[in-house]
Amino acid sequence: MLQTIKDIIDILSAPTVSFTFLTVAFPFVFPPTDWFEKIHRKFGIWRLWTKPGFYGGMFAITFFFVVGYFDPNFHVTLTKADNFPIILMIYSMFITIWWSMYQAYLNDERLENGLKPNEYNDPDDKVLVWPDLVYIEFIALILFMVFLIVWSILVAAPLEEPANPAATPNPSKAPWYFLGLQEMLVYFDPWIAGIVFPMFIIIGMMAIPYMDINKKGDGYYSFKERRIGMFIFMYGWLVLWLFLIVIGTFFRGPNWNFFGPFEYWDAHKVVPLNNVNLSEYIWVKTLGTGLPANILIREGIGFLVLVAYMGILPILLAKSWLKNYFQEIGPVRYTFIMLFGLSMLALPIKMYMRWLFNLKYIIAIPEWFFNI
Amino acid sequence: MENKNKKSFLERMGESQVWKSIIRSGVPRSRRQRMQAILGSVFLHLHPARIPKHAVKIGYTWCMGGLSFFLFIVLTITGLLLMFYYRPTVEYAYTDIIDMAEQVPLGIMRELHRWGAHAMVLTVWLHMLRVFMTGSYKPPREFNWGVGVLLMTLTMFLSFTGYLLPWDQLAIWAITVGTNMARAHPFIGHEGPGASLLAIGDINLVHAGSDVRFALLGGRFVGEASLLRFYVLHCIGVPFITMILMAVHFWRIRKDGGISGPL
Amino acid sequence: MTEDIKTTPPASVTPAEKDDNALGRRGFFRWMTVGWIAFSAATGGFFTVIVRFLFPNVLFEPPQTFKAGFPNDYASNFVDTRYKKKFNVWMVRDEESIFALSTVCTHLGCTPNWLGTENKFKCPCHGSGFRMTGINFEGPAPRPLERYKISVATDGQILVDKTKSFKWEKGEWENAESFLKV
Ligand code: HEM
Ligand code: FES
Repeated sequence: MLQTIKDIIDILSAPTVSFTFLTVAFPFVFPPTDWFEKIHRKFGIWRLWTKPGFYGGMFAITFFFVVGYFDPNFHVTLTKADNFPIILMIYSMFITIWWSMYQAYLNDERLENGLKPNEYNDPDDKVLVWPDLVYIEFIALILFMVFLIVWSILVAAPLEEPANPAATPNPSKAPWYFLGLQEMLVYFDPWIAGIVFPMFIIIGMMAIPYMDINKKGDGYYSFKERRIGMFIFMYGWLVLWLFLIVIGTFFRGPNWNFFGPFEYWDAHKVVPLNNVNLSEYIWVKTLGTGLPANILIREGIGFLVLVAYMGILPILLAKSWLKNYFQEIGPVRYTFIMLFGLSMLALPIKMYMRWLFNLKYIIAIPEWFFNI
Repeated sequence: MENKNKKSFLERMGESQVWKSIIRSGVPRSRRQRMQAILGSVFLHLHPARIPKHAVKIGYTWCMGGLSFFLFIVLTITGLLLMFYYRPTVEYAYTDIIDMAEQVPLGIMRELHRWGAHAMVLTVWLHMLRVFMTGSYKPPREFNWGVGVLLMTLTMFLSFTGYLLPWDQLAIWAITVGTNMARAHPFIGHEGPGASLLAIGDINLVHAGSDVRFALLGGRFVGEASLLRFYVLHCIGVPFITMILMAVHFWRIRKDGGISGPL
Repeated sequence: MTEDIKTTPPASVTPAEKDDNALGRRGFFRWMTVGWIAFSAATGGFFTVIVRFLFPNVLFEPPQTFKAGFPNDYASNFVDTRYKKKFNVWMVRDEESIFALSTVCTHLGCTPNWLGTENKFKCPCHGSGFRMTGINFEGPAPRPLERYKISVATDGQILVDKTKSFKWEKGEWENAESFLKV
């Protein structure tokens, strides 16, 4: 029985399966449009953001960890001292997101009934910082310090073998908060995954307040008033960042192969990874002519794809489906939203192209270190 | 309090010359005194004297911004203590770390520092999440959100530079991979796109000995010079910038009208 | 723009007290130019000094050349891992040549392992695989491993010089310095 559950979890957690599931399920959990909202209501998914949903979620997470603790294979990763923060992360993220959505749904209802949000108080009815806030801060600080001291006493800080430049440990992982980046590196060349994407993340995050011109939902929890912005951000944060960290921590083993959480980390697991570039697909496999000598001709199709995706697609969208939106926010905002949005979307797209077609690069010019 | 003439110890203390010289408003009892206690203190007047009711609720701020700041202070103190024992050289770094745990009484300083650093990354993330969830980045707080994003980046960079210092396997390989990304930086990394364009005749301007990665590592490999550079960045460079940005962050919270809230 | 400037008189000078000290429009711009050039030169110079300071002239790194035994020491189709630890080099001999292969993964610089049974180098960091020749065939590595300059020293031993490397994708493996014929 338990073994079957474990096997099922192993299969489900393969990135191809779990990532697809999360991506497909996501709009039903954070519904961005009325249609999704309808299904969200109809199938009772909204109950996730009620108290039973909270208990259910906490139970599922705890169940996973408890089973994992008693599993000889998962035990190894789970009890690594450096992985403890990730367990904390999973719990705290679930609790806080649940709490925000729970409050948001309560507020949405109040707003619908013409009431003010829960957080609203009469502006003249203020409290004194001494003692009301100072004491809370003081207590929070003491409790947190106690927690930190207990943690430090119970878990010794790890120290591995002395540095040896000739032998890379297998697997070799980045600090946990960068595992999302390390996962991206599997699908993109370092200059994209290591430089361009991180810069886009930082600049894109800083640009959020300038791109999201929806004035509603400022200063209180709410969902419905800002559901599209919420949906996009949460997809990036939960699936493309936090979930990739979980994959990197628990599901990546020797040779950076994928392993289910309950699977044994076999360093000799053979996974065929013969990746093929788009140019090879076209010139060698389809046309059968061999690669042209001229780099630009060789990669021409790749450049066309890139221009179509980043350049033409937004223009077409602005003329058709997003017409009203484009007129509302104007060309400058639209350009930036598309730049960051499409770059973000490029990650899952490239992941699927890798999984489905073993596609390595859309543009492959190693001569210039220019691979996309 | 039954006896009007008998003053409590606290009251008498509050009236003493020493107390009054430090906290002019005496013991914060009355409404006025309480406000004075906040306004008269360098540290506490980071806060306004009065705030809206919802702003003191844990359910609203989750205390995460405050805890991030607190952790920054804890990390500064514990880090300073670690510096008493740690020498940033390939020869000593690893053994100093071992000695620190084994030869120093109550040797959990390293744990406090390491777990505190992990915790700070988490609290900063949670803080960011709550700011997003309450829509608090919206005008007039756009700028402060931007400062926040930089603070988050710096927090992670602080944690990352500290990762190298124990000079164990985990450390050097994480840094090797991390800094090799710099090698792929367009134009200024020697294996980045465009780097080969920056050349005079046959001589490449950007090569393994002159690119950003070299500047970061002080060499072509992670070695002695890298350890020293990361140590300096970790202990002085990055915390310094972080502190400045925190000052801006806190100042702006007040200037943007205090904690966000519904109108 | 010029309109604006014309209509704004210099702050404290009224026409009546115009004298030799007054700064005419030309003079004003001349001084502005000088000022800006001086400012740019100072900041530019300062930043140059800062950036240049990051790149020392002398490096204390392990020697870049080493001797790797006699050509006859190497059996055919064999990867010699003896020089990996100290010099980050694999000495490889295939059917017709010997070459010195860099142990730095072209992806992000981890050190792959030679898996004799599977006849490949496998990188533990993100799973790149390279054939014995150094050609990449799986995983994220964008290009083959690099080869170093190799020659025979006067005493008959193989001399590897790591200061010069040869990249396959630039066609440099054809270069006579990149391998030894056997
Ligand atoms: C070192 C890291 C940081 C520290 C010490 C810090 C500290 C604080 C503190 C103490 C507050 C007061 C309210 C609260 O506790 O929630 C605050 C508010 C705020 N923080 Fe941060 N913060 C940090 C990072 C960030 C990040 C990463 C972001 C966003 C990306 C951010 C954006 C904001 C904004 C917009 C406010 C105003 C919120 C409101 O008015 O409701 N901060 N910060
Ligand atoms: S460093 Fe070798 S695969 Fe990434």
